[in-house]
This record gives sequence, C-alpha cells and structure tokens, in this order.
Amino acid sequence: MNTGPAIAVKGLTKDFRIGLRGLKLRAVDNVSFEIPRGQVFGLLGPNGCGKSTTLKIILGLVSPTAGEVSILGFPFATSSARSRTGFLPEAPYFHKFLTGRELVAYCARLSGLKSESVNPAVEEALALTAMTEAGDRTIGTYSKGMLQRIGLAQAIVHDPELVILDEPTAGVDPVGSAAIGQMIKAMKAKGKTIVLCSHLLGQVEQVCDRIAIMDRGKLVLEGRVDDVLTRRDQSIITVENLTPEARRAAEEVLAQHGARVTSFTHPRRSLDDLFRELVTGSRDA
Amino acid sequence: MPNFMKASLTRISWMTRLTFLEAIRQRFFAFLILLSAALVLSSVSLRFLDFGHGELKFVCDFGFGGMFLFGSVLAVVMSAQLFFTEMDNRTALTLLAKPVSRTEFLVGKFMGVWLVLGVFIFTLSTLLGIILWARCQELTVAAIEVGKAPPELSITGLFSYTGMQWARLGVVAAMILMVASLARTFLFTVIVGSMLVVAGQLQWLAQETLLKPGDLNFFSKLLLSVSTYIIPNLQQFNIGDALTLDHGSVADGAVTLALFSGSCYIVVFLFIGSLMFRRREI
Repeated sequence: MNTGPAIAVKGLTKDFRIGLRGLKLRAVDNVSFEIPRGQVFGLLGPNGCGKSTTLKIILGLVSPTAGEVSILGFPFATSSARSRTGFLPEAPYFHKFLTGRELVAYCARLSGLKSESVNPAVEEALALTAMTEAGDRTIGTYSKGMLQRIGLAQAIVHDPELVILDEPTAGVDPVGSAAIGQMIKAMKAKGKTIVLCSHLLGQVEQVCDRIAIMDRGKLVLEGRVDDVLTRRDQSIITVENLTPEARRAAEEVLAQHGARVTSFTHPRRSLDDLFRELVTGSRDA
Repeated sequence: MPNFMKASLTRISWMTRLTFLEAIRQRFFAFLILLSAALVLSSVSLRFLDFGHGELKFVCDFGFGGMFLFGSVLAVVMSAQLFFTEMDNRTALTLLAKPVSRTEFLVGKFMGVWLVLGVFIFTLSTLLGIILWARCQELTVAAIEVGKAPPELSITGLFSYTGMQWARLGVVAAMILMVASLARTFLFTVIVGSMLVVAGQLQWLAQETLLKPGDLNFFSKLLLSVSTYIIPNLQQFNIGDALTLDHGSVADGAVTLALFSGSCYIVVFLFIGSLMFRRREI
C-alpha cells in the first residue's frame, strides 16, 4: 500500500495568457507543499490568490505551466488519481431536472462503482450529508445549503481517499456551515484526507490539522494549525469567582516569578456559537 | 472486452443518458418538432400546389424539406447549446473531475445529441410515412378506376432515407462539437457551424468543378481538392425522392457509400474535437 503523501505539489507555476498580445498573468508562482494522508488541510487566501487554480491543476482541469503534482502516489489528471478523489466545486450547479438521489447515483456510475454497489453507496452518502429525506426532490427545488450538501454527497459517494472541497460553506447559513463542519470531521474520522478551501477562518481553525496561506499566487505560510497559531510566550488562565483582592494577589505572585499580566478580560462565546444555539432546529432539510 | 474499455463505455453511456434527458426537455426541441410536424401535415392540404408533379412527390418534398431544414437547425443549435451549457454552468467541472476523460465527455455529448436527432427524424418520418401511405391508397384506387398505373411508394425506401438523414445530422452534430471544443462562445460556434453546414451542402459543386475539363489554375485545383476532403458532402444524403418513389433509380451502393463516408467524418470530427478539447482549460 502506498504510504506517501495524499498530495505532493512541487514548484507549481501557472501562467494565463491574456489579451491579443498574449501578456502573461502568473496565477500560481512556484508553489510547493505536501498534504499527509488522513489530515484535513486548509488552503486559505484572499480572492484571486490562486487557490482555485491550484485546486483545478490538482484535479487535472487546468494544465500547469511548470511543476509536478502527484495524488496518492499517482500522477495527477490520471484516471487512477481521479477515481480516488472526490470534488465539490465552489457554488456547485447541477442539472436541475435530476433528483438528488439520481444525481448521486449518476456520479457514482461515472466514478466507476459497479451497479450492485450503487444503491447502498448512494444511501450512505445521502445519510452522511443528511439528504435522505430530500433525495427524491428535484435539484431545482433545493436551497443553497442543500445544494452544497448534495454536492458533498456526489463527491463522496464512491468512497474516495481524498476529498477536495472548494468553498463548501459559501452562501450557507451558520447552522448549515456547522453541519458541513461536522461532516468534514466525520470524513476525517473515516480516514479520509480532506482539502478545504474556505473564507470561514473560524471553521478552518476548528476542523483543519494543517493550513497553507496563499497570496498573489505565492505560498506565504504552511504548517500545523497549532504550530502557526499558538503563541508559546503567552498563557491564558480562566478562573471563576475572581475577586479584586484575589486578582491583585495573583498578579503579585506572578510578578515575583518574573511574569506580567498583559490583559485582563472576561471570556466571550462566539457570535457563531450563540447563533447556532438560538436557531438550532430551523435548518432546512 | 477488456475492463478499461467496458468502464469507458459505461461512462459514455451515462454521459449519453444525461445529455439525452437534458436535450429532450428543452423547449426548443419541442418547438421544432411541433413546427416540423405541422409542416408535414400541412403538405396534405397544400397538395394542389404540386406544380404538375405527382402528389406523392409533392408531399415527399414538403416532408423531406422540413426534416432537412429543421433537422439541420436542431443539430447545429442543440449540439452547441448542450456543450456550452455544461461549460457556462460549470457542470463540466464536476463531471471532468471524475474519472471521465475529455474524449468520453465529448463522445457522450455527441451520442446524446444524436439520439435526440434520431427521435426527431424518426418521429417526422413515421408521420410522413402514414400520410404517404394513406394518400397512396386513395391514389391507387383512383388510378385503377381510370385504368392508369398506380403510384409507386416504398416505405422501406422512406426509412432508408430517414436513416441517411440521421447519419447526415450525426455528421453535422460531430462537426459542431468539433467547432465548440475550440470556440469560446455559443454564438461563434453556431455561426461557424452553420457556415460549414452550408459549405457541406454545396460541396458537390467543388467536386463537379474538379471533374469538368477546364482551365483551373493550380491553386484553385488545390483549394477545391482540399475542400472536397475536409468538408463532407452533405448532399449525398439527400436521395429521398429516389429511395421512396423510384427505388430503381438509386445507384448500387449509394446508400452504403454515404453511410460509410458519414461514419468516417463523424469519427474524424470527434477525434479532432477531443484533441482540441483536451487542451481546453475548464
């Protein structure tokens, strides 16, 4: 069994020719990174930084100007690599006349599943994405959140080792977003490697093991989430029922050991958490 | 059959199914089939305008005209539309990220469009066949009453012609998909594709000019020779009258030759199209 990285990108560069004079626009500039198997990898960056182009190259939809890409040990854009990969594009659009169940079954057949294993695989994918009940409705009647979930179902129906999600929470309400976050965690628990491209930094922080940040086509940071976000020179202590006297005494003790209190605040829950707490149960299904 | 070939055929068949389902639901298809059917039916009421030709020939010409004209429009517009809908709506992104090759995608599109064109042409042909048969019965009784020879009608010939028209529309659809795989817009594809269809209908003129002894210069000869190979002769499929009303006048092997040449053009156009489509960035 191949135990190399799920994705290995080396020196990836992509130039687009624009206008009649063929001026070059460098969308991806000498990018290299590796994604270990079984991890959730967040690819971040502002709009137009080259994230989607990088994903399209990995999927073989766009050819690179230079560089090498391998997926699960196979050269990219080969049938072997694609049959082990699932992809949810940004703002997915599917044939509206199909029902959700038909779409997922159709994608299962295109991904190479044998006819006898299509139905169980479709039901499992629909169950994981909470789309079983809505599976017989035509896609034209789906809300944005449901479109994303059915998109996720078609991406995972063939049980791929690698799942690439481009903005899976774009246009989805916080409840739907949280549900997608849970699905990502469930896929990780099943040993899948997930590449997540998102602007929801809070969610990326929660679900990703590693992140890479791109800016103007270049990779500006890459590493484990804990390593890049943790400030090792500072600590947080959360206490209950702290009186002013106790606080002063604590500060004195800390000062005796050479430490200094730099801020004193009350913990807050996030607006995201508060919203989900209040509207849970109203999610579309 | 090797497994990889079986898998490839399965993917193509699923692409074909989806394309067919999408195409058959389009209002444009419904509009054209109704318009063509109305034209074929109206030939019965307009038969007094037969300009001295036989009534069956008039009805045939009317029906064949409708199948030819609206079939061509449908082949050009639908092939281009179904291709660009996938590109513009980005459904191609989802499909081509799966283990579906660009050739399979293009062949699946072609097969789907061709099936729809088959539904179109065989529906009209059946309608025309019913009209022709009914009129032939009446005309035969009338002819026997006055001691004349009854009119000749070959329903088998009509369906041979239908098969040839289906092949002709297949050549047109493959040609349009080849243009679409290179083009950036739907409009460009429709305009260039329509020009190629007209060139194909007139290609026999180039062949005739080459065969005539004359003082053509080298470059004109070269241009005409090249065009006779590149552009298919679509006129060779239009032998409906001869097949349906005068079966004996069709040269031996004309149908086989036309079908063989049509198949070759379909394969070549799809091959070139898939080569160009492979380089396209989705």
